[in-house]
Amino acid sequence: MELRELANLVLEEALKLGADEVAAAAERSVLRQVRFANNEVTIAKTWDALQVHVYLAKDKKIVVTSLANVDPEAVRKALKDLMALLGVMKARPDYAPLPEGPFEYEPVPGLYDQKLAEMEEEAVDLVEAAINKALEAGGKRVAGTLLLGEEETFLATSKNVEAGERRTKAQLVVRALADGESAGMGLTCGTRLADLDPEGAGEQAGRFAKLSLELKTLEPGRYDVVFGRPACAVFFDIVAGMASAFYVDSGLSCLVGKLGQKVASELVSLYDDARLEAGLGSRPFDDEGLPTARKPIIERGVLKTYLHNSITAKRHNTSSTANAGWIVPRPWNVVVEPGDRGDEELISEVKRGLFVNNITYVRFQDYAKGDFSAVIRDGVFLIEDGEIKAGVKGLRLSDNVLNILSSVKAFSKNARQTAHWWMEWGSPAVVTPLVLAEKIGFTVPTK
Amino acid sequence: MRWEDLRDLADLAVELAVKLGADYAEARFHEDQANFYMLRNGVPEVTGFERARGLCVRVLVNGGLGFASLNKPDKALLERRVREAVSMARASARTRKKPIKFSEEKAEEASWEAKAKEPAEDVPVEEKMALLFDIDKVLTDRAETGTQVPFRLLELTESITERYFVNSEGARISCRVPRVEFFSMITVTEPDKGTEQDMVQEGASKGWEFIRELKPIEKLKERARALGVVLREGVSPPKGSIDLVLGSEVVGLIVHESCGHPYEADRIMGREAAQAGESFVKPDMLGQRIGSEVVTVVDDPTLEGSYGFYLYDDEGVKARRRYLIKEGIINEFLHNRETAAALGVSSNAAARASGYNREPIVRMANTFMLPGDYKFEELLEDIKLGVFIKTFGEWNIDDRRFNMRFIGREAYLIEKGELKRPVRRPVLEITTPGFYASVDALDKNLGFTAGTCGKGDPVQGVPVWFGGPNVRLRGVALGGL
Repeated sequence: MELRELANLVLEEALKLGADEVAAAAERSVLRQVRFANNEVTIAKTWDALQVHVYLAKDKKIVVTSLANVDPEAVRKALKDLMALLGVMKARPDYAPLPEGPFEYEPVPGLYDQKLAEMEEEAVDLVEAAINKALEAGGKRVAGTLLLGEEETFLATSKNVEAGERRTKAQLVVRALADGESAGMGLTCGTRLADLDPEGAGEQAGRFAKLSLELKTLEPGRYDVVFGRPACAVFFDIVAGMASAFYVDSGLSCLVGKLGQKVASELVSLYDDARLEAGLGSRPFDDEGLPTARKPIIERGVLKTYLHNSITAKRHNTSSTANAGWIVPRPWNVVVEPGDRGDEELISEVKRGLFVNNITYVRFQDYAKGDFSAVIRDGVFLIEDGEIKAGVKGLRLSDNVLNILSSVKAFSKNARQTAHWWMEWGSPAVVTPLVLAEKIGFTVPTK
Repeated sequence: MRWEDLRDLADLAVELAVKLGADYAEARFHEDQANFYMLRNGVPEVTGFERARGLCVRVLVNGGLGFASLNKPDKALLERRVREAVSMARASARTRKKPIKFSEEKAEEASWEAKAKEPAEDVPVEEKMALLFDIDKVLTDRAETGTQVPFRLLELTESITERYFVNSEGARISCRVPRVEFFSMITVTEPDKGTEQDMVQEGASKGWEFIRELKPIEKLKERARALGVVLREGVSPPKGSIDLVLGSEVVGLIVHESCGHPYEADRIMGREAAQAGESFVKPDMLGQRIGSEVVTVVDDPTLEGSYGFYLYDDEGVKARRRYLIKEGIINEFLHNRETAAALGVSSNAAARASGYNREPIVRMANTFMLPGDYKFEELLEDIKLGVFIKTFGEWNIDDRRFNMRFIGREAYLIEKGELKRPVRRPVLEITTPGFYASVDALDKNLGFTAGTCGKGDPVQGVPVWFGGPNVRLRGVALGGL
């Protein structure tokens, strides 16, 4: 069944059953993944999926579903069940209607590459190239994941929205381990085969693993830190996620009540850009069918907007930012404004501090305040007199989101699209340079 | 072909794979149905359901593994994807110096289920929403909680998973598991004292009777009240070496993170190195002492009604209790058929897949420290100065599972054998051997909480229980900056 046909089936049947408003997003995807560890491929996977997501509203009540059984009879039955559910629900005081279309959508360039859509066994060659480069650069055991494939969506709403898009994507993460605890990580990602640099990712992973062969332990305390791109991606994924009005309204954000206020160093400007050429999260329309745009979340240190869908916008007495998510508004591409120095220059400015390539396992004691700790890994080094010296082990990043934002002293000029497993707040990608921040807290185990 | 017939394609998938040259093949039909209800700050945020069903096939060809999943009942598409799984496995095999092998296991034929006394789907939606509104009403009533709770996120989820597993060795397993889950996240605040947040996750492989037994209204009221007191009266934690008593909730998560995960044989062997990480435990550490003699940690999928309940794993192997640490000694790892073959043992049925489109990987089920014979008061009685950490907030552990941190949420000073004033945010930052070696006594109050454990790429969240008694640790300094 065509995606358009499936979405329209949902629309027609739900309206027939008495829904006031309907949105249906039909999706088809074929994705492939090659996983590897110990320099060998551990498994190759192919996922073939067709599903439809449904939003129904009646009398200011809302229900949603995802259906992986898109047989017309099963869809009809699910819609009947949803309508029955609506019957016993309570009305939302903050209900807002879906946006009234039709809208014009400007396509975003660079989102589809036939070569990625069709790549099968050649994916193993890309993985081998990355492994070999990581070994050459000093890694002993290399692990990682290559994900690639295509996704197609068609959205129809009862408010005259009809919108379709298709995209390809590829993400390669390489982690190299040498002796003991030494580790390094490199990654490459994009929407086109030409965007990928498997050898570059392998080289960085292997080089960092080799550089951390000798590991020192350091005293707990506050250090100046240069954060690598994987670490910055995790951190700014959280900041952008906390700008989602859903998390703001749930007490799961330290940006509550701070609109228009200074929340970061003046050097920090952070954008959500759905229109980024060849961006992994780029898209011409959001889940309600609104045309997307680039917008500042933080500009020169000031919090400019939360990310909204129609309902959260109504609750906050503002307009949607075209970041729906029917339930949770979310960022598309998080873009960190770069600075004016080279990566090496940034490191050379640190008298005594740390280089932290990746932060993982971020957990909060208090989302509302922003207090958290995180495991640091994949290339953690002592910087002395502007040069990377020994590898460092045993430290844990223990600080606060707002404090780190306020402690930023510089960005490097080379921003790159970054996506990896530890970005847990749901940004498809973060485009980020390296960041230098001052006096960041680190702790150690006591026993 | 009708969509209802998707299940029937599982046998055909295995047949096709073998015909195409697979040395081993398995297929799994997997259907998940979940209904969810969410109330946020008194507003019914979202209600709805998810229906996911599909089929996957996993093949071993020349020592390479291939996997494919689909959700359309289309024989031509199935053949295309099985063919691709076989060819990708073959291409993967050329990168391998050591071909993947599976341990020899009995080809089981079985059908099993978890029982719901009161099926959740039979309970009217109005009753479920009414429960959430009742909880919210109590939480917003200062007379009930003694404090302010400005943010309240409350969720109920009921689900049913059905699976049919078949492999080329003749195994055939069917199962049906209903589950219910309650989740809450509340923020408590007191003027000029800041905030504390509390998360609760409870779940079981049962019906609505579990929610009735749970009494969530009472539970959340008491937790909010306690945090209000912590905010108003909490003092800084003591410095220097002291004794600690950790509550069951804290012990449960600690054993999950620092015993369960590092004893997963796929982590030990490096298969998860790029994501969740590896393990400080090496194969030759079996039989070595890691903790004091009072420490025994088990992982047991066979606990009836538990959130992580199963009788056969997703490779068709019969489940049993696993003793990970026995009287302080590293005793056993968690295995699937691949890791078992690599280490020359049998699988202990730890292979789980979270959905039709996920490969089975090594997972925990219900991980807990076995209780002792102390009464809770006896744990405290000879402590001159200590801290009782009853619940936790922030936690994490490094990728080798060696260096961990847990921050107390509800915690109290222990002075001269008695619980005294609340303590604000004590930080337990400790190595794994440091923790297990410091445990010297356990009480008899075994408790469990539920969690959704994440692992794999793409991430697979599987239901688990964490558990343990209240536990005493000697001579530990609290950490933090």
